[in-house]
Amino acid sequence: MKPEDLHLTNFFGADDIIPHCGEMSREEVIRRLTPDEESYRQVAAREAMGSTVIRDGLAVPHARLADIGEPKVRIATSERGIVWPGEKSAVHIVFLLLIPQNQPALYLQILRALGTALKDDQVLRTVAAMTNAGDIYRFFESGKAYLPRYITAADIMSREFLYLHDTDTLQVCVDTIIKNGVSEIAVLDRDNDLRGIVKAGGLLRLCLPEYLLWMDDLSPIANFEPFAEVLANERKTWLREIMVDDFPVVKPDAPAIQVAGEMTRYRSPCCYVREGNKLVGLIRISDFLNKIFRE
Amino acid sequence: MIKFNSKLLLLAAIVLAVSFGGRFAGLAVNTTQQITLAVFAGVISTTLFFWERRVAAAFIGVAILISCHAMTLHTILKATELDIIFFLVGMMIIVGVLKDLGFLTWVIQTIINRRKMNGVSFSLILCVLSAVLASVVDEVSSIVVVLALVFQVCDTLKLRPHPFVLMAVMATNIGSSATMLGNPVGIFIGNKAGFTFAQFLVGATPVAFAALMVTLVLTVVWFRKDIRAMTLAMARHRKMGLGPALKIPYKTGLFILLATVCIIAFHHQIEHLLALGGAENHNAFLIMTPLIMAGILMIWRPHRARHYVEKDVEWWTLLFFMLLFAIAGSLNAAGVNGEPSITRNLADTLTAHVKGGAKAMIPFVIVISSLGSAFVDNIVFVAAFTPVIQNLCDQSSAYGILWWALLFGACFGGNITVVGSTANIVASGLLEKHGHEPVKFFDWIKIGAVVGLVTGVVAWVMLVAFPHATGESQEPSAPVPVVEQHQPAELEIPSISPYEQK
Repeated sequence: MKPEDLHLTNFFGADDIIPHCGEMSREEVIRRLTPDEESYRQVAAREAMGSTVIRDGLAVPHARLADIGEPKVRIATSERGIVWPGEKSAVHIVFLLLIPQNQPALYLQILRALGTALKDDQVLRTVAAMTNAGDIYRFFESGKAYLPRYITAADIMSREFLYLHDTDTLQVCVDTIIKNGVSEIAVLDRDNDLRGIVKAGGLLRLCLPEYLLWMDDLSPIANFEPFAEVLANERKTWLREIMVDDFPVVKPDAPAIQVAGEMTRYRSPCCYVREGNKLVGLIRISDFLNKIFRE
Repeated sequence: MIKFNSKLLLLAAIVLAVSFGGRFAGLAVNTTQQITLAVFAGVISTTLFFWERRVAAAFIGVAILISCHAMTLHTILKATELDIIFFLVGMMIIVGVLKDLGFLTWVIQTIINRRKMNGVSFSLILCVLSAVLASVVDEVSSIVVVLALVFQVCDTLKLRPHPFVLMAVMATNIGSSATMLGNPVGIFIGNKAGFTFAQFLVGATPVAFAALMVTLVLTVVWFRKDIRAMTLAMARHRKMGLGPALKIPYKTGLFILLATVCIIAFHHQIEHLLALGGAENHNAFLIMTPLIMAGILMIWRPHRARHYVEKDVEWWTLLFFMLLFAIAGSLNAAGVNGEPSITRNLADTLTAHVKGGAKAMIPFVIVISSLGSAFVDNIVFVAAFTPVIQNLCDQSSAYGILWWALLFGACFGGNITVVGSTANIVASGLLEKHGHEPVKFFDWIKIGAVVGLVTGVVAWVMLVAFPHATGESQEPSAPVPVVEQHQPAELEIPSISPYEQK
């Protein structure tokens, strides 16, 4: 079976659905949905790391398990809602995922299919109101909740990111890097098109011309003499003069593995997601590793 | 893809034309020699059209030569000129150590520390530095160093670096002809012709110096607007300087460089002291000196030794040279039934058609090698033409003057186009790496052709007008018996013209 032929309902049946589970705590729901103590322990441990509520009313507690061959999905619904610690509103559908550890992308693929099935709050509430497991199953079965062939850059990118403009100065850039603890920043032009990036390492290269780095022993410049001129000019140096235009870029629909390839090729901690000329997202290597290995 | 196919078709056409044209012109007298010509033309054309695939083409070329009995495995290995390869490996390691020790950084820093400069003085310093560095290290190391200076100055002054890159490259190519150390072409020709380092110096340096002076004037006039802009920018920027003012230690590096050059300069005398005579040991200490120095330096800095060998030695280039020399050697191989070699046939054809003897052939060799080097790497052309001159020299020692014509044609002709020499290609790559557009082909050829033409004329005039500087050129006489190329070394520097083969 090809991945694009996989439907969400390939992973569960009506028997795996607990409708109208009433007033329960998060722990009670997870315990009822997990098949054994070990998987409960792992799901609870993941939950302790941070809430798995992915949107109002929908929680996806999950774990990656080494000793299961096939993914397992179990669903619980509650029309009145389950109180989920740390969340303002109650959860109406709990979608528990147990994923084999050797299928790192499957979690994100199932999330995409789930997003297609429960496309808005109205649908979510309708499903939560269903009293029969068979009805809920048929609802999912009738929808086009197919797993995508692969996860894309858009699935793992962050839509919140730092940027500066090419008319900003080196001083602003250094301040931003120090304040936010980032290693690189996107540079946009006045039309907000992505034009380049400025790397913290690149700023060091600005201070240390290549011919100084030929030397094995840098003790002759131990007092940072080469930095003096750059420092003196930091308010007169514009980012368009020092930004680089060769950096990892992908389109939103690029496979996530392409993101990994670009970051590896450029030895860069970030990959930029560009649609047309606009920067639409940023994938940091830590986010990438979290999505693929941990979440 | 279409471009690739059209290039491939052109390559095939050249291979066929050379192969059948060679047969028709009487250079190749049997099918094996025709195949040899085709292989050589194929490898040369690959360097022209598919630069990145040149090593692959050379591998296949060698395999074809062995398969069709043009050469044996033994003769191929003998023709790889391992002595020259060892020399280049040693020099590359020494340059790596000089970089590591900060000597090359000091060279740049010394100029950056100068506060009173203008566009003209910077251009003059740049050209002289390029030429001198190229003559004592090598053209590629030299261009990397001087372009680091150009980028530092131009980035600081916010000027286009292109004119200064061109000036530096042209001076580098000219300076690289001044000594045997400057260019693989120099050590190759010197070794083939049997010159000592001192003979080479006496023969090549005056011509290179004259060509450099002419080029200096030409380029300063040609780029006068850019030089004026630099003068104005330097005046505005005087308080700030051209970069950080630093004191870089240089004495150790300078000592290593001077020691290497001095030992190489006296290799002939050392060989005599060590009784390293005979054809088998010709120029042995010239070749061994960089290896000895490199060995000592790596013992001194064991933690960096692996870095020097793995990163500072251009193995890709050297491998190509070895294979290329082997393929060029096949042109000089006699036929299995005793037929004369292709190069012998070419030499006979030249002597039959070019009247006036060796002097009349000087402009011919300069023009051919200049044009050839303008479009393929100059070492490729020199490797091909060397056996022809060897054959001419076998007929008369007066033809020894053509070694110099070949040297200057190949080095000065490398200035004509952007692909004319390794230094040009490296410079173009460095421009791109620093975020600048590479120099356009036709922008390069405009100044390159002028410099190539004028310096070629300078070389011709000097070779014709001053052969008597240390001796009288002889006119070609009746063919003389074939002389062993690698003659025993003499202690004294002979008083015959450096423009004649010993």
